Amino acid sequence: MTSIRRWLLAALLTALAVAGLTAASATYFSARDEVDDLLDEELRQVALSLRDHAVLDLRRLESVSANPAQRVLVQIWDPAFDRPYVSRLVGDSPMPRTDEGYATVIHDSRSWRVFTLFTGRQLIQVAQPTALRTELAARTASRLLLPVLIVLPFLGLAGWWIVGRGLAPLGRIAGAVKERSPTALTPVPTTALPVEIRPLADALNDLLARLDHSFTLQRRFAADAAHELRTPLTALNLQVQLAERAASDDERARAFEKLRQGLRRATRLVQQLLTMARLDPDAAASPPTVIDTSTLVASVIEDLRPLAAERHINVTPRVGSGDCRVTGSEDALRILLNNLVDNAIRYTPAGGRVEAAIERAGDDVVVTVEDNGPGIPEEERERVFDRFYRGQTPGVSGTGLGLAIVSQVVEMHRGSVALGATAAGSLQVTVRLPAQAAGEPSSASVR
Amino acid sequence: MRILLVEDDSMIGDSVADGLKAEGYAVDWVRDGKEAEAAVGASPYSLVVLDLGLPRRDGIEVLRSIRERRIGVPVLVMTARDTVRDRIKGLDAGADDYLVKPFDLDELTARVRALIRRAAGRAEPVIERGQLTLNPATREVTWRGEPVSLSAREYALVAALAERAGLVLSRAQLEEKLYGWNETVASNAVEVHIHNLRKKLGEGVIHNVRGMGYTLVAE
Repeated sequence: MTSIRRWLLAALLTALAVAGLTAASATYFSARDEVDDLLDEELRQVALSLRDHAVLDLRRLESVSANPAQRVLVQIWDPAFDRPYVSRLVGDSPMPRTDEGYATVIHDSRSWRVFTLFTGRQLIQVAQPTALRTELAARTASRLLLPVLIVLPFLGLAGWWIVGRGLAPLGRIAGAVKERSPTALTPVPTTALPVEIRPLADALNDLLARLDHSFTLQRRFAADAAHELRTPLTALNLQVQLAERAASDDERARAFEKLRQGLRRATRLVQQLLTMARLDPDAAASPPTVIDTSTLVASVIEDLRPLAAERHINVTPRVGSGDCRVTGSEDALRILLNNLVDNAIRYTPAGGRVEAAIERAGDDVVVTVEDNGPGIPEEERERVFDRFYRGQTPGVSGTGLGLAIVSQVVEMHRGSVALGATAAGSLQVTVRLPAQAAGEPSSASVR
Repeated sequence: MRILLVEDDSMIGDSVADGLKAEGYAVDWVRDGKEAEAAVGASPYSLVVLDLGLPRRDGIEVLRSIRERRIGVPVLVMTARDTVRDRIKGLDAGADDYLVKPFDLDELTARVRALIRRAAGRAEPVIERGQLTLNPATREVTWRGEPVSLSAREYALVAALAERAGLVLSRAQLEEKLYGWNETVASNAVEVHIHNLRKKLGEGVIHNVRGMGYTLVAE
């Protein structure tokens, strides 16, 4: 697992170490230049002073400068001797002759800086190991690096603590989130939060609010569903008991018929509940397709013919001209049309008629379902879209979900649904769905 | 015994009505709150079985209006609203008992019997009038220690008369107690049942008070 604290700390310390090293090496190189200049000058001065006064008597000089601690090595070539004067013998042989001026030579497998001066008779060489210069420069650089190295561990500890302090609000949010449960999705406190963490907390609170809303809806739906299931269950329970205690075969047959009706009704309710749950916008539906609603309505009416025939209701489709294609979910739209027509059939007295019209009006496809039943009083029209609300029409075994499902599907397709009345006061349901999007090639209206 | 059933769901209403009728009660079934209010004022009921989720007027309002009109009929509330608060609300509004859906037919009929018994001022489940005993739970009747087999109507008739000692009930009152609205009653139905009862229990048990009606004399 990555740790911001560890990462920050490692990055900080590394940066510090790199900075220290860079500074040290820069110091090293500049010190090296200075030392070069300084020591080169020293070599020259030694050579010049040798020329000025010690030149001639090599034997006297020998005794004076044969000090091994001397920083410089002096070699003087004199035509009078076959061997050069050497202040201190390094290796087996003297350093070879060099050209006048500064030079760097390898002698006795060491690197030397040499200043050579020709007096006209003698060749004076003043040399010094280059290692000395490196050593001096390195010493200067290390004086800079050392405090950094000493401070580093303390900085590490301090950094650990500081980063920890800085990240503490994250820990507080985590703690607050941990306390939340699906039943108590209150927002996490955002007071005294640093600006960097505020967006996280806000996003979290937004999510919590949406979750809470969703949970509330789900809970209410489950409670409503359970409540609604009680009615058919009560009926079934009573019907079973009546069947059990039936005194005659006739009575028993009658009781069983009622029991079957009760089962059909409970089944229908469960199916509607499932439909409702499946239409939940959060449950990813199949990708939208282009659907011709005029053929869909015909097929729905075909499916409902047996029910209509049973109730002696005449169902007529009326398909207007124009492109009645919409983009959406075929299953959902089928459920929508089915519920509208089915409702009309159920709430229309036997022998009545139901008309389902579909037409293109501007940018909308308009579905109108009319019956010649008793209609819905105006004050009730809003409430019938509520889940489980059942109208005042007695004797119809509805589930109270039909129109709630309709409004859910309409919402899914960004349409609208309105309840109205026909001239005779019967119910007229109008659903408007946006026709297949204008941006699509088949129906593009270019200006 | 005549019961008013208020239930908007046709299947539940149908079943409860059937179940109560099988127990010998006359049942009037209405499907909304307004009808229920009208019915309670119109005829004397031994009991009202009331659903709460009703169209046109909520059951609780119906209950309050019954009590405001000082009608003392026992009311059994039958509902899917099952929280403690709902039950308290129902009982405080004047319900005598509270039955949560889904329920058993047996439990319903047992509670109906208990409520009717208490309304008649009896604590003991078996009615004793002299040598006649009636058990409303089993609808068993004994006369001088011997079990007597009675039809549902005959039982309902004798139970109506036995409910309070010395009570005189007119033919119309008996008809009301025996038959629901939608049942056709032959004009001499009560006389026929009384005749049959006298055959089974002996001539002297049901006494005809001239001009007033019938009473039970069972020493």
